[in-house]
Amino acid sequence: MDAEAQDSFREFVEHRSSALLKTAVLLSGGDRHTAEDLLQNALIKAAGRWHRIDEPEAYVRQILYRQQISRWRLKWPRRELSVAEPPEGRTAGDDSSAAEVRLVMRGALARLTARQRTVLVLRYFEDLPEADVARILGCSVGTVRSTTHRSLARLRTLAPELAALNAPSRPSRDYAPVEVRP
Amino acid sequence: MNVEELVRDSLRDLAGEQEPAAPGFADRVLAVRRRRRTRRFASVAAATAAVVAVSVAVPQLVSGGRDDVRPSEVTGGQSLPVTAISAGRTVVAAYYTTKTRKSGKGEGVAERTYRLLDPSTGRYKKDTRWSYVAVAPGAKTAAVLERTLPASRVGLLDLTTGKVRKWYEIRMGIGGLSFSRDGTKLVVTTYDENPDRMFEVKNADGGVNGWMAGRPTSRNGYMILDVEDGNGAWWQIKSGRDVPSRADFAFTGDDKAVYARIVGGQDGMEEFYDLSGKKITAPAKEKYLRWDVPARISPNGELAALGLTKEVNMGKKLPGKSYSSIRNPLTGKEITKVRGGQLLAWVDDHRLIAWERTTPLKNAGYKDRLVLVTIGSDKIVPLSGERDPDDGPQRLAWEPVFAER
Repeated sequence: MDAEAQDSFREFVEHRSSALLKTAVLLSGGDRHTAEDLLQNALIKAAGRWHRIDEPEAYVRQILYRQQISRWRLKWPRRELSVAEPPEGRTAGDDSSAAEVRLVMRGALARLTARQRTVLVLRYFEDLPEADVARILGCSVGTVRSTTHRSLARLRTLAPELAALNAPSRPSRDYAPVEVRP
Repeated sequence: MNVEELVRDSLRDLAGEQEPAAPGFADRVLAVRRRRRTRRFASVAAATAAVVAVSVAVPQLVSGGRDDVRPSEVTGGQSLPVTAISAGRTVVAAYYTTKTRKSGKGEGVAERTYRLLDPSTGRYKKDTRWSYVAVAPGAKTAAVLERTLPASRVGLLDLTTGKVRKWYEIRMGIGGLSFSRDGTKLVVTTYDENPDRMFEVKNADGGVNGWMAGRPTSRNGYMILDVEDGNGAWWQIKSGRDVPSRADFAFTGDDKAVYARIVGGQDGMEEFYDLSGKKITAPAKEKYLRWDVPARISPNGELAALGLTKEVNMGKKLPGKSYSSIRNPLTGKEITKVRGGQLLAWVDDHRLIAWERTTPLKNAGYKDRLVLVTIGSDKIVPLSGERDPDDGPQRLAWEPVFAER
């Protein structure tokens, strides 16, 4: 990497690292440390072929997603976040507030496998169509569809409170912002 | 609202809460990249390629496995940690190496060089200004002493900015510092002379001369200093022949007394004082503790960390396994054994950070590294590179300073 490439790399990281880090945090289930490691590895890979990359951001994002999937393929230890309270232990009362449901949701997201989480992030955070998700992850559209389905089903199992969400009688609520540490 | 919408909202919330990446992230990435490349080339060239690859791969595997365990990267051929080592709330907030500098004929001074963890970058940074550093709970502030010992003032150093926020002038000669568990008090140990004074010991075989700590001690008292306002009373004490040259006080688990090492019939003996200059018997829970096992009592107060009790020979090639004793603090009876040659700090009520050997039991010397051990499990999680505490170059024989975050 020559000096010019280093400067452009630095500039890219300075401008885009915060946005990329957000995605990395989601992919790692809310664990900032793991997210920084994930992003660092992706950027190192990108730095290796910096002068050949046309769209650095898309390239780094693709590495981020694929890293997650390949870790899964390699049968690495499941990268789950341990949370203080197991979501299974919580029961949904009538008064379970929106804030509480979100808290439960976060705990549940952290407990998915890296692959499941990656698919959900692509589908619902990046809002990508199934075909694009399949292209990025290098799998078939059918796999994306079934993984999405299974991930949502697992979320419902991990957080029984979510079952109540589909009940038609439930009034809509204002979602107040809550400060939660995952 | 359906589950898909809730997933979308939760992800957006979580993303929105993230603070921006730390400044200098690009430089950090480039530095890591350089190191990895160097390692890769080195490992291809070296005959011990497999060994190098393993020692490099382990920390990455580990950092991906457990969310709250952070091993350190190490520099090329050395074992000095570069990035923060932590497990749970326990962090290696600083570490130091010691080197004896000749100060006169047959005399020397053992001097520490500290590397302090910058909480904003998560990296250790060399800071040669201090002869002694104690890190406060929270790992954001340290109490420091300047180079010449005994010192006449204590500084409160902001570990993020590297600047001293406050100085407390104390007329007595200060040699050692230690924070209370709650971080509100410091116990300041005072000496008439430099407690790190060494004397040259002639090598009868004509080899390199060694160094020995001076005796008797010049310790003359201690002071309990309020960290907020700098008030405190100094207590003069008599130090007998059983007190070694440097015998700093530290708070007991309940912050109600202080203890220091003494030299006696067995290793690891301690003496206790209350907070007003009076010698007392050991508190019930600390009667069986040893000063050379720094982990002491578990956070819930139910387990006492004690010394090495068993070593298992794993043959000529594999590192031997060490086990330390976990005891009932009140009775001193062993409850179980846990991996680790020296238990340094509790992470929670089941896990500890320890030194564990990396060399086979026989005919292979002794080297060790920091590991995470768990009660009831034979597994260890490496947290640092290898260290040679005895025979290697002194600049690499580092000692960790722990703090709770």
